Amino acid sequence: MSQEKVTIEIDGRTIGARAGEPLIEAADRAGIYIPRFCYHKHLSVVASCRMCLVEVERAPKPLPACATQVADGMKVATRSAGALDAQRGVMEFLLINHPLDCPICDQGGECELQDQALGYGRGVSRFVEGKRAVADEDLGPLVATEMTRCIHCTRCVRFLEEIAGDQELGGMHRGEQLRISTYTGEPLRSELSSNIIDLCPVGALTNKPFRFRARAWELLSFPMVSVHDGVGSHLSVHTYQGRIQRVVPRECSTINETWIADRDRYAIEGLAAPDRLREPLVKRYGEWHTAGWEEALSAAVAGVRRVLEGHGAAGIGALLAPHATLEELYLGGRVVRALGSANVDHRLREGDVSDQEQAPPFPYLGGTIAELEQADAVLLIGSYPRHEQPLIQHRLRKAARAGAQIMALGLRRFAWNFELAEEHAVAPQHLVSELAAVAQALGERKQRKLPQALRGLPGGSVSEPARAMAKRLLAGERAVVLLGNQALSHPQAATLRALAALIGEWSGGRFGVLAAAANSAGGWLAGALPHREVAGRPSAEQGLAADAMVRAQLPCYLLHDVEPEHDLWDPAAADAALRQAEHVVAVSSFASERLREVADVLLPLGAFGETAGTYVNTEGRWQSVRGVAQSYAEARPGWRIWCALAQLLELEGFAYPDIAAVHAEIAGACRDVQPSSRYPAELRSSGATSADGGSSSAPGRASGQGSGVTLALAGAVPIYAGDALVRRSEPLQQSPLAARLEAVVAPETAQQLGISHAETDEATVRVRVQAAAAEALELPLVVSSTIPAGTVWIPAGLAERAQLGPPFGTVTIEAL
Amino acid sequence: MRPLSEYLQSFLLVELLRGLRLTGRHFFSRSVTLEFPEERAPKSPRFRGHLALRRYANGEERCIACKLCEVVCPAQAITIESHQRADGTRRTTRYEVDMFKCIYCGFCEESCPVDSIVLTRLDTYTAEVSGERVLNKQQLLSMGDRYESQIAADRAVDAPYR
Amino acid sequence: MRQETAQEKAQHAAQETALTEAQQARIDRWLAQYPPDPAGRRSAVIPALHVLQDDNGGTLERHHIAALADYLGMPRAAVFEVATFYSMFHLDTACGRHKVNICTNISCWLNGADGLVAYAEEKLGVRLGETTTDGRITLVREEECLAGCVGAPMMVVDGHYHTHLTRERIDEILDGLD
Repeated sequence: MSQEKVTIEIDGRTIGARAGEPLIEAADRAGIYIPRFCYHKHLSVVASCRMCLVEVERAPKPLPACATQVADGMKVATRSAGALDAQRGVMEFLLINHPLDCPICDQGGECELQDQALGYGRGVSRFVEGKRAVADEDLGPLVATEMTRCIHCTRCVRFLEEIAGDQELGGMHRGEQLRISTYTGEPLRSELSSNIIDLCPVGALTNKPFRFRARAWELLSFPMVSVHDGVGSHLSVHTYQGRIQRVVPRECSTINETWIADRDRYAIEGLAAPDRLREPLVKRYGEWHTAGWEEALSAAVAGVRRVLEGHGAAGIGALLAPHATLEELYLGGRVVRALGSANVDHRLREGDVSDQEQAPPFPYLGGTIAELEQADAVLLIGSYPRHEQPLIQHRLRKAARAGAQIMALGLRRFAWNFELAEEHAVAPQHLVSELAAVAQALGERKQRKLPQALRGLPGGSVSEPARAMAKRLLAGERAVVLLGNQALSHPQAATLRALAALIGEWSGGRFGVLAAAANSAGGWLAGALPHREVAGRPSAEQGLAADAMVRAQLPCYLLHDVEPEHDLWDPAAADAALRQAEHVVAVSSFASERLREVADVLLPLGAFGETAGTYVNTEGRWQSVRGVAQSYAEARPGWRIWCALAQLLELEGFAYPDIAAVHAEIAGACRDVQPSSRYPAELRSSGATSADGGSSSAPGRASGQGSGVTLALAGAVPIYAGDALVRRSEPLQQSPLAARLEAVVAPETAQQLGISHAETDEATVRVRVQAAAAEALELPLVVSSTIPAGTVWIPAGLAERAQLGPPFGTVTIEAL
Repeated sequence: MRPLSEYLQSFLLVELLRGLRLTGRHFFSRSVTLEFPEERAPKSPRFRGHLALRRYANGEERCIACKLCEVVCPAQAITIESHQRADGTRRTTRYEVDMFKCIYCGFCEESCPVDSIVLTRLDTYTAEVSGERVLNKQQLLSMGDRYESQIAADRAVDAPYR
Repeated sequence: MRQETAQEKAQHAAQETALTEAQQARIDRWLAQYPPDPAGRRSAVIPALHVLQDDNGGTLERHHIAALADYLGMPRAAVFEVATFYSMFHLDTACGRHKVNICTNISCWLNGADGLVAYAEEKLGVRLGETTTDGRITLVREEECLAGCVGAPMMVVDGHYHTHLTRERIDEILDGLD
């Protein structure tokens, strides 16, 4: 499209436009509404609905405004008799096969067809013949279908093809038989699939869990921000009678455009889970008793005092969820510090934080999310954004479609929805050396040497994939190096960060960290860290990081929205630590069985939408939201709970009148914080890194000795297992992307195990997996060539695998 | 001379007799008073009385929980909650009318796409405790069941004018 | 995780019903006529579907389409779109030894094609899109213009054009099929 400016006239108004842009876009910008169904600004133009017919001077017939390109001097009439007549005619045709079952249709009241039939249609239909009916299809637990209502605009087909990246729907048959269908009847598998609900201009595709719950006109809409990844997508939350009923996207061109992930939309279905904590609970002699807030808070405080007297302040540790609000993280950190301890952390899924002293103020994307689509060479390290930050994946996909070379260096191959320029999957113990090899290859081309601390990491010669990646990075003008969630939870994450930052610098591009949780960045700013206070000020005392806290087996733990069996890097160690602790206070929205076993006091926490707060996303953008839903039973906002605890502990400086005061304090402190993604390797002691000595585990290689095969363990948190709310969302857990606990190995490894090669999916074989001294686990085995040889992939973050410990390590496997 | 004629008239009880004449005329004319509750005045088929929910002939409730009556009600007397019934249809879990709020305007009946909520001819009903003013779905449906023949007949009579 | 395994499942299914080498060779001959890029591979979908349909006794099954989609690197739904759009592809159900397409588009329709379709349906005892129980004849679903308007009404039997149809001609042609 050229940038040439032209002047056109629409309905007598002279407006400026770019030559060649769609007429409807120019009209939209000028505020002149032209009715449409199939046109959407983020999708390709097909001009199939014909609703946007307008009259253009000297054109013999009405033209579709979406497919007509603007040319200089064009004179357009959108409301002339001819245009209106054309629109009325199209509307009559569209309604011929539409069932007009608006009273039972969930779209009723927010339906584009209703609105436009009113605005552009005729009052009475002349069609008296029978209407067609179309059999419904089951598109899975997220999207309800009523295909008789479909008007074949194909927005859903185009979305799945162009944005989600896999054309799962198509227009089957033709003419009057045309129907939108998967044909095979399989549920939708895209992580963005539910956006077709918003795109559908009629009620053919609707929100399945929300079905028949409320009408559009009785819902109140509030702005909100997604809390399930570090993107911070803009949402609108719709409430009815004080309860959140559904979530829809709110447009934000710089973050999520008009899309949200299914996770953002359906996590709310977990809000009223059966194990939601309704009132404070206190454990006495092993029995849980319902208590009032005062009683529960004093029980919590009494326990903390006991530990303070018996063990001193260092015996207290706080584990705060990285998806808590900035205010909660700040107050939690301050309460612990006011007690004299510095054992506070929100980096629950990180095992190696040895570079924390040199780290920048917060893990930063290195630029904005929107800029990612401008990149022309991207290296993803230990990352699968499609399941970790789906809207980052969307930006990367846009870049890939524009010709960017996207490369992935990771622990397995994934189902990417774009062509990768390079994909290299290595066993976890080789990730560092492979990344170092990329750095080395870059260094050779740039005639630079690896810093002292990182020298010796590349194991021998630089591998071919590493060389190719370095070459492509250098060829790019806007290179981006991104470190993903799997790399961040790697046992040598600090070395990976240093290497990736170096690669980013040498390739002349930017380096960024993809934040896993809503406040992974905010926790750093809020001072929920053992070594830094708010705004990165150095802490007077040095405390223990999350994993160290768990290993130190402290006498007292304060948990904020943490489910130890899911959310911690080493759930086995966490379980042991919490079991031996004298006093565990859990501020939590949900009370899982395991939490009830280890906690002594349970304080009900206001969940998503019930509490105000601020989230800092991966690009360092602060986004504050209000609490919009009624509090659930006795649950209270986290910032109030922490203030109340502080006051009962007689700590100074916690008398905040409202959350705005807390926010102002943090914002004031962080005013001068500059984002940065520098992890200077030079400053590190060289002893901290070695080629294959992780801080806690050195995965061995496959060996056939004994009864089993020893394999390196790798795993990532599945898309719908990231936080307590998502894990409790029934529709998400029933969707095809829901986590399945199974051991995935390469065909070579399967042979070693004595299982014939065939790549099996319906895992009939079971294996026994044994990690360290823990009890063995029996898992179904899946054979897949996406896994590097010598590695077994077992998803992390699932309670059933907690005994295996960290996501990475060594396990022994034998076939059953 | 006025005072004298007035005096005569009152002396001869003329006003009284005039009054008695009126009384006498009504005494012998046909009575218009109805002995409520034994007797009832005739009602128009469009009479707007007590609310009821109707069923189809096969016993299926008509209401589809579209909530149009709820939103059109100027007195906000109707409260509806909906869900998906096991057979996949859209149904109410709660349909309540606050009869103290209801102003019998008939908008709900006008708005109903399935002729479910109707105003019956019933105009006499009482409540003894405060809570009884709110009628639930069961009560409204049983009203409909009880008066269905009358409701249907009234709708049939009015049909040509709608 | 399940997505990934679903994909494997698909791969697995594709392996089961993988194209034979002979089929691949025939499809490759078509591919050679188009540009060697993804769009070019897409262009070969119609001839490739014909290859598979001819090999399978005149009908396509879903696993053929899945296998072809994987071979051409196309989304399966896109191949289904093509296969369902054209009446020359016969999907899912088995078809008879002979395929009869009676044109019902404008020229033929004006010359009484509707009546001929009804006659053929009655004669064979099946509706459009169905196959006679003896597996002899399939009446292909409603057919659009077959480019024989000059001799309307017309029909195509196993690729051969028959024009200027009458009921008698239909009797003659259909009875002549084995």
